[in-house]
Amino acid sequence: MADPAAHDLDPAGQQTSDAFTGVLTGFARELRAAGLRIGTGDVLSYFAAMTPLDPTDLLDLYWAGRATLLSRHEDETVYDQVFRQYFLGEDAALRGQLLFSAESAAKAEAALSMPGTEPGPEQDEEQPVLGWMASDVDALKHRSFTACTPDELAALRRIMTRMRLTPPARRTRRTRSARTGTEPDLRATIRESMRMHGEPPGQLFFRRRKTKLRPLILILDVSGSMTAYSRHLLQFAHTAQHAAGRAAKGRVEVFCFGSRLTRITNELTHQRVDAALEEAARTVEDWEGGTRIGRSLDELVRKWGRGGLCRGGVVVICSDGLDRGDPEVLALAMERLARLCHRIVWLNPHKGDAPDFRPSTLGMMVAAPHIDLLLSGHDLASLEEFAGMLPALH
Amino acid sequence: MEYPGTVAELTQCLRGGGYLADRGLATTLLVSLSLRRPVLLEGEVGVGKTEVAKVLAAVFGRKLIRLQCYEGISTSQALYEWDYARQMLQIRALSAAEATDERSVDQLFGPKFLLERPLLEAVRQGDRAVLLIDEVDRADDEFEAFLLEVLSDFQISIPELGTISADSSPVVILTSNRTRELHDALRRRCLYHWIGYPTAEREAEIVAVREPAASARLVGKVVAAVQRLRELDMAKPPGVAETIDWVRTLGVLGETELTPDAADDTLGAVVKDRDDLELVRDNLAEIIPGG
Repeated sequence: MADPAAHDLDPAGQQTSDAFTGVLTGFARELRAAGLRIGTGDVLSYFAAMTPLDPTDLLDLYWAGRATLLSRHEDETVYDQVFRQYFLGEDAALRGQLLFSAESAAKAEAALSMPGTEPGPEQDEEQPVLGWMASDVDALKHRSFTACTPDELAALRRIMTRMRLTPPARRTRRTRSARTGTEPDLRATIRESMRMHGEPPGQLFFRRRKTKLRPLILILDVSGSMTAYSRHLLQFAHTAQHAAGRAAKGRVEVFCFGSRLTRITNELTHQRVDAALEEAARTVEDWEGGTRIGRSLDELVRKWGRGGLCRGGVVVICSDGLDRGDPEVLALAMERLARLCHRIVWLNPHKGDAPDFRPSTLGMMVAAPHIDLLLSGHDLASLEEFAGMLPALH
Repeated sequence: MEYPGTVAELTQCLRGGGYLADRGLATTLLVSLSLRRPVLLEGEVGVGKTEVAKVLAAVFGRKLIRLQCYEGISTSQALYEWDYARQMLQIRALSAAEATDERSVDQLFGPKFLLERPLLEAVRQGDRAVLLIDEVDRADDEFEAFLLEVLSDFQISIPELGTISADSSPVVILTSNRTRELHDALRRRCLYHWIGYPTAEREAEIVAVREPAASARLVGKVVAAVQRLRELDMAKPPGVAETIDWVRTLGVLGETELTPDAADDTLGAVVKDRDDLELVRDNLAEIIPGG
């Protein structure tokens, strides 16, 4: 039903542009408060976008805002919530300031309550929780890394920061000018020729393919059976991210898994190790719980792999292979992962120093055919060994 | 033909070109047309991202300039290149006196020897063109950074010629399949719209517009089957393009009914992955009921 007062007012006369400006900037403020990153430029675009549209039409307000204020799909759920609250909310403080045509309000309500054509991130997040409840051995707790002795941490850090992780390089399609190469660099050659007043230059210039470091993807097992190692591994991951050097910046991805997969790349970007580890520990919800390697890898391939995250990269899985899930799921996920990425390295702490180690867990046996390199990673020496072998994984 | 001023008119025009845009897409496009801001379209594979640009160009009589991105694409493939072979011949033809003349050098790097590539062409055409930068996620970071410059000012600096700028900026559509995260700087310069899978009714409508020869009954059944396929846990869920392909395939084979047998024979039109194929075959009875 339309607000009865609306009939008494002439929309054009009452809706001063000031009120409109206030409402839109207020909306942007709410969105920012909800965690979206919206710049003043975006808000200006929003105003500009409303010029050809109808400001009394809620649907126009909705879609114009979505096009100008958002820049990624993941933010749409938050936007919808804030929009509903702000423009259609119960408190309705705004209805006094702006008059929306009753018909459009009803339509907007319908559009917002319509189930998305695609499951939003919210629904995505619910699924793992269900899986988590189904798992009997999971324990939901935040494990603090600061619990380990400061001396121990300091020693580890000192040694680890000296480690350099250099993933193998690959040749890109991009070229640079060089003295020798496969393709002639006509541009440089002609320029040289001009310098010589049209004489053919004494030497030809060439173009050579550039090289680029492959992405490095670390997948860490933080389940119960790996408790003794997960702390070291996480510290190792932090070092990897910061020590990978300038060339590989942003090319290191870190995931944790127990019974579910968590991406902790962003959490680990903190410069200070302790802060980064704490941040990561807060994000990962299934410390020392059960293990679902297969399901976690499957999720990696589906959710991240399909987006090209591990395409052509070196995937490092740190786990003991004690999988409580279906081995078939693991086998399939490993096969897919192997097809997507360049090399798979498995660090299994149970391997220890034994050179003739044979995988005894079912998970390891299933995964073995797809592993290019099996190392132990149970102590710093073995991690150093890994760092040494990494650049050679062509 | 002028671009329309309201969402309803634009929707109608696009429909005339065989494209059914929903309210969100039409609004985004209208805003883009009036503000002349580029549109970044993201979405699942095969939901008609590229088609938007093609239809816009066709309906409004603009020239479609397409830049297909790929890894290693460089300015010489996207922007301009000098015609080196002709330049070399020209240099050889010059006499010694002419070669030292400033003017002949200017001529050598003049418009005559410039090969236009899509971006330069779009800047020159201005409003007479629709520029489609397809699958921008396939290009690498360096190219993305370069695009920023072009997209924000619509001007291109050629050291030898000077700056070429558009008198009116062209309509620009960028598409991305999200194989790589695009930089925020590029996103900020664009309007953003996500194209998801359509609802069953809408998809049936789209297929009917694209394949008018197919019977409504067959289209309905195919669409229902595809919608069920998307609910399966597939590695590569089918897009609208696959639905249209499937209807077309069935039409070529003269099938008027989607029976499990007919579906089994033509699954290759919708399912493009071996593991998916097995999964679908196992669940065929649920996907195509009443067989």
